[in-house]
Amino acid sequence: MNWRIIRALVSKDYSLFFRNRFYSIVTVLGIVFYIAVYFWMPKSVDESLSIGFYTPVPFPTIEQADEEGLEIHFADSQEELKDAVIEGDYIAGIAFPADMKETLMAGGKPKVTAYFTSDVPLEYKDAIELLIKELIYERTGQELDIAVKEEILGPDMLGMQIPPRDRIRPMLAVLLLIFETFGLASLVTEEVERRTIQALLVTPVSITGFFISKGITGVSLAFIQAVLFMGVTGGMNNQPLIIITTLFLGAVMVTGIGFIIAALSKDFMSVLAWGMVTLIPMFIPSFGVMFPGAVTGWIKYIPSYYLIDTVHRVANFGAGWSDIWTNLLVVVILDLVFIWIGIMLLRRKTR
Amino acid sequence: MTFPHDYYNMLINDLQGTLQVHPRKGEAMTGDAIVAEELTYLYDELVAVDHINFNVAEGEILGFLGPNGAGKTTTVKMLTGQLKPKGGKAMLLGMDVALNVEKVQGDIGVCFETTNLYEQMSAVENLQLFARLFNVRQFDGNTLLERVGLAGRERDRVENYSKGMKQRLMVARSIINRPRVLFLDEPTAGLDPTSAEGIRNIILEERERGATVFLTTHDMMEADKLSDRVAFMNQGKIVALDTPLNLKQQYGKRALKAIVATDGGGLEDREIILDTPETSSAVQKLFKKEKVVTVHSEEATLEDIFITITGRGLTE
Repeated sequence: MNWRIIRALVSKDYSLFFRNRFYSIVTVLGIVFYIAVYFWMPKSVDESLSIGFYTPVPFPTIEQADEEGLEIHFADSQEELKDAVIEGDYIAGIAFPADMKETLMAGGKPKVTAYFTSDVPLEYKDAIELLIKELIYERTGQELDIAVKEEILGPDMLGMQIPPRDRIRPMLAVLLLIFETFGLASLVTEEVERRTIQALLVTPVSITGFFISKGITGVSLAFIQAVLFMGVTGGMNNQPLIIITTLFLGAVMVTGIGFIIAALSKDFMSVLAWGMVTLIPMFIPSFGVMFPGAVTGWIKYIPSYYLIDTVHRVANFGAGWSDIWTNLLVVVILDLVFIWIGIMLLRRKTR
Repeated sequence: MTFPHDYYNMLINDLQGTLQVHPRKGEAMTGDAIVAEELTYLYDELVAVDHINFNVAEGEILGFLGPNGAGKTTTVKMLTGQLKPKGGKAMLLGMDVALNVEKVQGDIGVCFETTNLYEQMSAVENLQLFARLFNVRQFDGNTLLERVGLAGRERDRVENYSKGMKQRLMVARSIINRPRVLFLDEPTAGLDPTSAEGIRNIILEERERGATVFLTTHDMMEADKLSDRVAFMNQGKIVALDTPLNLKQQYGKRALKAIVATDGGGLEDREIILDTPETSSAVQKLFKKEKVVTVHSEEATLEDIFITITGRGLTE
C-alpha cells in the first residue's frame, strides 16, 4: 500500500466533494442545523400530567391529588372543561355528576365523564380511569376489587428520565453519519461513470488503493461530523471513548453502505433514489429512543439499531463497555459484511 | 500534347524509388518494449483476443488498426494491466504485466479515446494529481500545457474546455511521467486539423525522446503517416503486421492515372497498373500514342488493404 498515493487520492476526493455545491452546503448547513435542533429541543423533562376537573359539588380528595407529577385544574362548567381539553390545556378532563352522592346512596352507578384528545396514549387513558376509581374510593370508602401488576419491558431505566433534546441526539448523530452515504456514493459513481477510475488504474494506483482512499474519505467525512456534533451537544460527557469508537464503527458501516449504493447507481439521481431506500429504514430505530414502546423487537434487524441504541445508552445513561460490547460486536460484523459486499459489487462494476 | 521520353523514364524511376523499404526506426533499437505471446482474453464464451503474437521495438510507433469489436481495446487493457490475460503473456519493458502491474504502470502513459478528466478541477490540478500519483518530483504543469497549446487556460475548470482542449489535456496527462511506453487511443479524433497536427508532433517528439508508441486509431492517413509498422486486428486475431509500405506492396496495387485528350476534343481516363512487368511498356505507349493532359500516381490506402485482407471495412 502506497500512502503517498492514498494521500493524493483522499486529498483529491475532499477537493471534489467540497467543490460540489450541493454536498458542501448540505454538509456545513446540516451540522449547524442539527446542532440548532438539539439546542432548540427542551432541555428539561416535563412529565407532569395536567388534568382538568369539573365538580358541581365539593370534592376535597381531588385537591389532595395535586402532588408531584399531577397538576389539578378546575373548570367552572362542563363545556369549559371540554374546550380546555380540545385546546390542549389538559391531557384529560373529568366531569363528575352533580347527583353522584345521591345516585350512589340509591345503589345506582354515577356517570363520570372523562374527556381526552384523540391522540392521547392508551396508557394515559388507563391511568385516568384508575385515578377516577381511586378518587371515588377516597370519597365513598368503598373498596375496589382491582389488582395492578407492573411489568417493565427492556432495560430498566425507571426514574432515569431524559430531556427530549437528549432523546433526539442519537438520531441526529446517526443522521449525520447516514447522510454521508450520499456524498461518498456520489463520488464513487462519478469516478465510474466518468471513467476517471480507468485513468487512475493505469497509473501506480491499485484497485485496493482506490478502495482504501475512498474508504478513508467516506469514514473521515462521516466520523468528523458526527464527533463534532456529539462534542458540541455534550454527548461525549459520558464515556467519550465508547462514543468515539461507536461513531467510528458507524462511519465504517455507512461507508460500506455507500459503496453498495455506488455499485447500484448510475448517476446522482439514482444515488438519491437508492440512498432514500436505505435511509428511511435506518431511521426507524431512532423512534424507539424518541418514543419508548413505540417499536418492537423487530427493529433489531435494522443495522442502525445497534448504533443508535449504543449512543443512546452510553450518552444518556452512562452505560459502559460491559453493557454495550455485544452491540459493538454486531456493528463490527455488519461493518465487515457491508464493506465486503460493497467492494465486491464495485469490483464487478469497475471491471 | 506529348511528354518527352526522358520525362516518363524519370517518372517511372521516381515512382519505383518510393517502393524501396527504408529502415524503420524501430530496427535501430536495442530490444522490444512490448511483447505479446499467445495473448488471449475471453468474455465468458466470447473470444475477444485470440492467441495473438507480436512485438514492438523500443522507440517504435506501432499503429494498431481494426474495426470496432476487433479486440483492440481488450488487447490494450491487457498490455496496460487493466485486464489479466486468460491465456498467454503480455510483456512490457521485459516484465510480465500480470505479475508486475504497478511497476509496469509507473513506466507507461495511457491516453483514452473517451474523455476521463476530473472536470471540476482545473487543467493544472488534473496534471498535479497525476504527477503526485506517478511521483514526478520536478513537475512543471505550465510547460506541459504550453506544449499542448493550453497555455493561458491552465487555471480554468476542465468542464469549461472544448472537446479539442480536453483531448489535448488528455495527451498532456499521458506523458506527464515521461513514459517509456505510450498508449494512445484515437488521440486526434474530433480535433481540428491544426490541433491534430499538434498532437501528431507531440507523438513524434515522444518517439524522438525514446518512447515506444502504441497508437490505436481509425484514421488511416494518421497511421500511415506516423507508424513505423501497422497491425491489423480482426475478430480477435492479428491478420497483418508490417510497415505500411510493405503492406501496400504486398496487398495493394499502385496505378498511374492519366487524363488524355481524344480526337473529338473530349477527355478520357486511362489507368496503368504499376509494379508489373508490363508497366514500363504501357507507360511508354501511353505517352507516345495518347495526348496526355494530366498524370498522377495513385496507391492503395491502408483501408483498401484492410478490406483486401479481411473482406470488411475498418469502420464497420
